[in-house]
Amino acid sequence: MYGKGLKPLSIATVVALAAGLSLVFFYAPNDADQGFIQKIFYLHVPLAMVSLVGFIVGGVFAILHLRSGDRRWDAYSYVSIHMSVIFGVGVLITGSIWAKASWGHWWVWEEPTLVSYLIVFLLYATYYPFRYAIEDRDRQARYASVFAITAGSFVPLNFIAVRLSESLVHPRVFATTNGGLPASMMFTFLVCLTAMALLWVTLVKFELTAKSASGQVKRLRRALDAPPAGPRSRIAPEVS
Amino acid sequence: MSLLPLGTPALPLDEAGKYVAGAYIVFVLLLVIYVSIMAIKLQRIEKELRELATFAEQGPSGTPERGAAQSSPGPPERGAEQGSPGTPGRGAEDVPVDSKTQPAGGSDRNLVPSEATAGPSAEIRGSSDV
Repeated sequence: MYGKGLKPLSIATVVALAAGLSLVFFYAPNDADQGFIQKIFYLHVPLAMVSLVGFIVGGVFAILHLRSGDRRWDAYSYVSIHMSVIFGVGVLITGSIWAKASWGHWWVWEEPTLVSYLIVFLLYATYYPFRYAIEDRDRQARYASVFAITAGSFVPLNFIAVRLSESLVHPRVFATTNGGLPASMMFTFLVCLTAMALLWVTLVKFELTAKSASGQVKRLRRALDAPPAGPRSRIAPEVS
Repeated sequence: MSLLPLGTPALPLDEAGKYVAGAYIVFVLLLVIYVSIMAIKLQRIEKELRELATFAEQGPSGTPERGAAQSSPGPPERGAEQGSPGTPGRGAEDVPVDSKTQPAGGSDRNLVPSEATAGPSAEIRGSSDV
């Protein structure tokens, strides 16, 4: 069920990523101010945007779980947050590399954009031990959903607060109606953003398919009354 | 912080190149690590499936299941172990097999009706194996 459409989606993702990378290095001009180092922008910003949207999507799935009681929504919520945290790791590392090259520092604590993203990331990093700490699966799913909704609503608030705050060194892109970018850069950025969004969806689907297969195997094992194969995940929800 | 250059001049290509390459390599590495972890998980699932198929074929006591005996042209003694023809073996009593829905051929397909015994609630249930 979850694997349906995974193959064309994977192909579309690979094509979009290849197109994005080609545009970045062969089409988009070098930035007048930052030069070649600005190429990180096409990786760092889409990763950040997709991860933040992914956190919100996780919250939306959590709402659906609490409304319907359907455990599948909990699995969607978990996988969305899980994937966004992985993307978040990419955001922090690529951002640090860019900061070092551009500002001469790996991290600037006075910069609200950096610190606010770190807060969001650390907030979601607590999602795993929070889930892990609850033994009962139903309670675990309910509490995790409440967490996902609360944290998910914090993300846009955080974003607005950062926009309202005064920037120290981090640029405020897309603050103007034309995005503050020339057409060639904007086009390249949009392709990269699409590729990153496709990658996120593909990996979420891939993870759900793997979890579904794992859940089916466990169902079989229970139905056959077979002995357990080994230690099982206490964090990740099952989907079947 | 006042030392931070606000209007940073462009780095020369030989210096900027390593940072750009580093950022993109980090991205690729993250992807590779993720895919590797997923590959390990899938291998584990495959291994479990193989174990279950063997378990279903042999049964808990090591005796072959009826489905396994049907699917493989074994000697007549194997059927005798399970009782008279048409009588489910011990393993089959534990895991009911609907002969109408049972496809001929691969013994692993015998597992499908067993899933149905889990009932509709099993569709979305999470495990209690926390």
